[in-house]
Amino acid sequence: MRKKAAFSVLFYILILGVSLVLLFPFFWMLASSFKTQVDIISWPPKILFNPTMANYERVFGEQDFLRYFYNSAVVGVSAVAVGLLLGLPAAYSIARFGQKRLSVFILVARLMPGISFLMPWYIIFSRLHLMDSYVALILSHILIALPLVVWIMSSYFETVPQEMEESAMVDGATRQRAFLSIILPLSGPGIVTATTLSFIFSWNNFMFSQVLSMQKTKTLPIAIYNFVSYAEVDWGAVMAVAVSIMMPAIIITMIFQRYVVKGLTMGAVKG
Amino acid sequence: MRKILAILLAVMVLSVASAQTKEIRVLLANHPYGDLLKSAIPEFEQASGIKVNVEQYQEGQLSTKLATEFASGSSTVDVFMSRPLQEAKMFYKNGWFQPLSSYDFSDFPKSALGLVTFGSKVYAVPIVTEWQVLYYRADLLKKAGLAVPKTFAELEAAAKKLNSADVAGFASRGKGNPAVTQLSAYIYSYGGNYLEKGKAAFNSKKALDAIRFYGKMLGNYGPTGVTAMSWDNIMPLFQAGKVAMWTDASVFYGQIVDPAKSQVPAENVGMASLPAGPAGSKPYFVVSWSIGVSKKSKDQDSAQKFLAWATSKEMAKRGLAAQIPMARDSAWADKEVLSKVLPSLVETRAQAAKNGMPYDRPYMSAVGEARDRIGEVIIESINTKGASANLDKKAADMVQKVNELLEDTGEYGVQ
Repeated sequence: MRKKAAFSVLFYILILGVSLVLLFPFFWMLASSFKTQVDIISWPPKILFNPTMANYERVFGEQDFLRYFYNSAVVGVSAVAVGLLLGLPAAYSIARFGQKRLSVFILVARLMPGISFLMPWYIIFSRLHLMDSYVALILSHILIALPLVVWIMSSYFETVPQEMEESAMVDGATRQRAFLSIILPLSGPGIVTATTLSFIFSWNNFMFSQVLSMQKTKTLPIAIYNFVSYAEVDWGAVMAVAVSIMMPAIIITMIFQRYVVKGLTMGAVKG
Repeated sequence: MRKILAILLAVMVLSVASAQTKEIRVLLANHPYGDLLKSAIPEFEQASGIKVNVEQYQEGQLSTKLATEFASGSSTVDVFMSRPLQEAKMFYKNGWFQPLSSYDFSDFPKSALGLVTFGSKVYAVPIVTEWQVLYYRADLLKKAGLAVPKTFAELEAAAKKLNSADVAGFASRGKGNPAVTQLSAYIYSYGGNYLEKGKAAFNSKKALDAIRFYGKMLGNYGPTGVTAMSWDNIMPLFQAGKVAMWTDASVFYGQIVDPAKSQVPAENVGMASLPAGPAGSKPYFVVSWSIGVSKKSKDQDSAQKFLAWATSKEMAKRGLAAQIPMARDSAWADKEVLSKVLPSLVETRAQAAKNGMPYDRPYMSAVGEARDRIGEVIIESINTKGASANLDKKAADMVQKVNELLEDTGEYGVQ
């Protein structure tokens, strides 16, 4: 019993140590977003300081950051929606009919360095006059969302007992009906995981948006550079943007954390 | 029904009309001059009737964007800012610049034009210049009974005296690649150069003396960890009062005397010309930004009109009045404008424009790789406080590697 108590104390000390290391940069970012430039660079670092909202005012007042939020949200939500629409049936088919080659093919598309797609995309989209449009960005972000959905969901669908849809089909349901009414409702945690992860990856994507977006469709990770000028960095504003960008991802993860862990491990164990 | 038809017709007429107004796409950098142009563009639109779609990006993003768009061959960019030292040679070689044959360049310093001239043609208009200066803490020098250093020997003596546990006597970039630009002025002031006649020459006696001096200064009196520092690490130290003297580009002056950004009161900060070495004081005097027209622009006429406006004498005066060190000579001769400019900016500029060198790095296509190689020599020198027995050999090795880079791009031995 004593041994167990000692072990759990050690365990919590370790957890605390690891969390401190991991959370310190986040704390620093949060604190800096409320500091003036002088306080940010002051040495020794100021733990106690006079908080200011000036950085956030600069971000949301002087610059139209709500628009960049809107852009990122439109692109992320649409790409994930299309990803689910196409990815769920694909994943089901891969899981039920053992189309391993197909799934490897999809993985390869994801593993290829994203930059190799950019040049052809740029040529195609500019010929189609789709540059600086949501369509181009959404199409490119589908490449982020779709393979994730397919991979997470195909291993998840394998964990759903085949007997359940078979008995539905015995009762006269078509395969499509069984998929929609039996399999999908049972796959909630998996779908939440795939949705959350692909949304966050799209939200954070820098490379595709950098080339395919222009002034109108600029997304958040690009807009953060509005505060990095030639030979000058507005650290306070950069920190304020970083905090604001992280918030949606953190909130989504906190809400769905339970499902995400479950969804990921279920897929992993089944393999 | 008829109503709908009428509306449709009206919409069609309107869209045709709007297609007829000329439109150009302009890419600017996040730079004070980019900000100035952006805010002034409505004046141009009103006067010319040309609609300007302006986009503004951080320099790294701008560079990637331009390169991707131009390489794809279907770019819609008409006018764009770029960095001559970093990109001009590559852009020119790829044929992305429209040569500016009818532009009047008589108002620009010769050294500024050298960077954007290839063959007999000029390919971009220099906008802003920068030069190396010595920033110093007037209060600390005064307390130690020292005058502002005028020679490298005085610089070393002052650094030694000012160096303490709390304040570094001297700072300059120590991180290999970025340090190359700051070391350049030291090499020039010792009488050396990175490249001579198209061949790497930084293992000459003069260049090595400069590299050793730079290493000795930073190794002995530099801030802790200086070999990992570029301007973005050193400036905050200076602003926090932890550095007594600092050599870097003139562009930082505004930020270190701004009470919203610096803990050091502005009256304690001074700016002077680079101290003189054995060959005199030879800072770099470079064009940091230029603006040009894309070869692929479908409306060359409107693009040229915009360029002429954006680089006009009038805009140069407005820029200089806002403390942006413009390239045009006429702006620096205008008494009314100069009355608004910080005197030390005017003085150091006059010295640098007269004695300065137009490059702050080996000017070649593979400049990034070459800087990495030279950076290794700089770090070796700093780590050994300039006393490394290996330095000559290391420099000779790196000279060989830079020569190979020059050969790869067909620039070896070409001037």
